[in-house]
Amino acid sequence: MTHLRKPWWRDRIVGGSLATLAMLLLLSGVVGFVWLPSAQNDARFKGILDAICGAAGIPRGWLADAVPPLPTPRHVSTVVLTPDTLSHDAPGSIGRGGTLALKCTMCHGLRGVSTSETPSLAGQQSASIYKQLRDYQTGARSSAVMEPLVKDLSDQDLKDLAMFYGSLPREPARDLGNAPDIVAFGSPTRNIAACGSCHGGMTSKLGAPWLDAQPRAYLRTQLLAFSHGTRRNDTSAQMRNVAANMTPQEIEQAVEYYGSGR
Amino acid sequence: MPQPASESPSHSDVAARAERRWAIVMLGIIALLVAMVVFTGLHWAMMPPSRVETVDPATLQLSGEFTEANLGSAVEPDGSVTVRIVGQQYSFTPQCIVVPAGTPVTFRVTSADVIHGLMIMGTNINSMIEPGFISTFKTTFDKPGDHQMPCHEFCGTGHQAMWANVKVVEPSAFTQLADHARRLTCDL
Ligand code: HEC
Ligand code: HEC
Ligand SMILES: [Cu+2]
Repeated sequence: MTHLRKPWWRDRIVGGSLATLAMLLLLSGVVGFVWLPSAQNDARFKGILDAICGAAGIPRGWLADAVPPLPTPRHVSTVVLTPDTLSHDAPGSIGRGGTLALKCTMCHGLRGVSTSETPSLAGQQSASIYKQLRDYQTGARSSAVMEPLVKDLSDQDLKDLAMFYGSLPREPARDLGNAPDIVAFGSPTRNIAACGSCHGGMTSKLGAPWLDAQPRAYLRTQLLAFSHGTRRNDTSAQMRNVAANMTPQEIEQAVEYYGSGR
Repeated sequence: MPQPASESPSHSDVAARAERRWAIVMLGIIALLVAMVVFTGLHWAMMPPSRVETVDPATLQLSGEFTEANLGSAVEPDGSVTVRIVGQQYSFTPQCIVVPAGTPVTFRVTSADVIHGLMIMGTNINSMIEPGFISTFKTTFDKPGDHQMPCHEFCGTGHQAMWANVKVVEPSAFTQLADHARRLTCDL
């Protein structure tokens, strides 16, 4: 029984198993970190260090010597929207926005509810108002009326206006139960998601405004502008991709459903 | 028939033999698994996770390679093609991707919002598209044809509508297109 008193690592079986395990580990390491990555048809995996870093997932550039990116044209929105773009706002933002909004009531209505073909702003998503105002300012969205009105406002002014209009009571939303198919289901076979999956009703996407009770003429103009590519301020074409696939009938149905009587 | 104690194997010897057999079986299993990884890795192009590269998903549109003007297919000096795609709720931009057959193509894809996926039907191209990371993969399409490219990772209420087209064309047709634009798509 002397062998039982030997330290455990000198035991033939334990020691042997440990040695085999270590070999296996080394072998698998070589297979996973050197052999398989090097077998890839990619110059950036060649060499032991590159292969190991690649397999270990060290972040780095994987495209060498590509042609440089094209410059960004003016109509592209430069607004960065994140869920907290408007959430850290200074106290008094809504009050200051209310004062600034005196310049807007003439067209957008006394309490943000328009009675003409101008869009209503009452209860609109603040992030969306802010984005549109910035886009008018940079020229990403063009409007002969709106561009001069926001030209001299500061970024904080735009945020205050957005907070103010967002705080006003919104007109009641449409009942999705009566919605035409294009609004309630979209057309999945043509890459059109339901309008309600971004514009509220089902779910809301950051930056997608409420459409309920906007003037029909306004909705129609915007949808046609997206589908013809004359309005291009939607980031990475998120709304153009929808409108480009809609038929004229579907545009009418959506306008009819969302639009107010005006 | 009882044997004298000294001639029967001791308990520890029995245990040692059993352990050795088990160890050999386990080693065999591990060796088989490693061999499978090697085989699928070399012959079925199933590779360990790799090509990690980061990007800020909130500012893709501002600068870098995922700006709107730079999306689509670009011809590189070595004649290969780089395709850049942004996935977002609930579409890919560009919606129609055009590439030449028989030419090395590198895809560079990222997400502007949540996790999406991408597979090109009829090929073995299949990748996750994660916000904050760029998925890079290389392929060569052997013949012209149209493929659908659905998002295969549930990404929200409009997920089922999210897909794009991949049009593989003759290299000569592609070259003609490339004479007219620096970034190519087959969008309407
Ligand atoms: C002279 C009339 C007029 C005045 C004054 C005016 N607007 Fe407008 N506004 C319009 C029109 C018309 C549009 C639609 C423009 C278009 O087609 O892009 C519009 C669009 C907007 C939009 C985009 C709405 C959306 O849903 O996309 C916002 C936001 C907006 N205005 C905010 C303001 C603010 C804030 C002020 C005050 C500083 C203001 N407007 C003053 C006429 C006006
Ligand atoms: C993938 C999400 C998404 C879907 C689906 C979607 N939209 Fe949009 N839509 C947006 C976003 C985001 C904007 C704001 C674009 C921008 O930043 O200027 C927008 C803007 C609009 C506008 C302009 C509103 C304004 O006040 O400026 C209209 C009109 C519109 N969408 C109609 C529709 C209709 C109708 C449908 C259904 C067929 C639809 N959208 C489906 C995301 C979506
Ligand atoms: Cu998706």
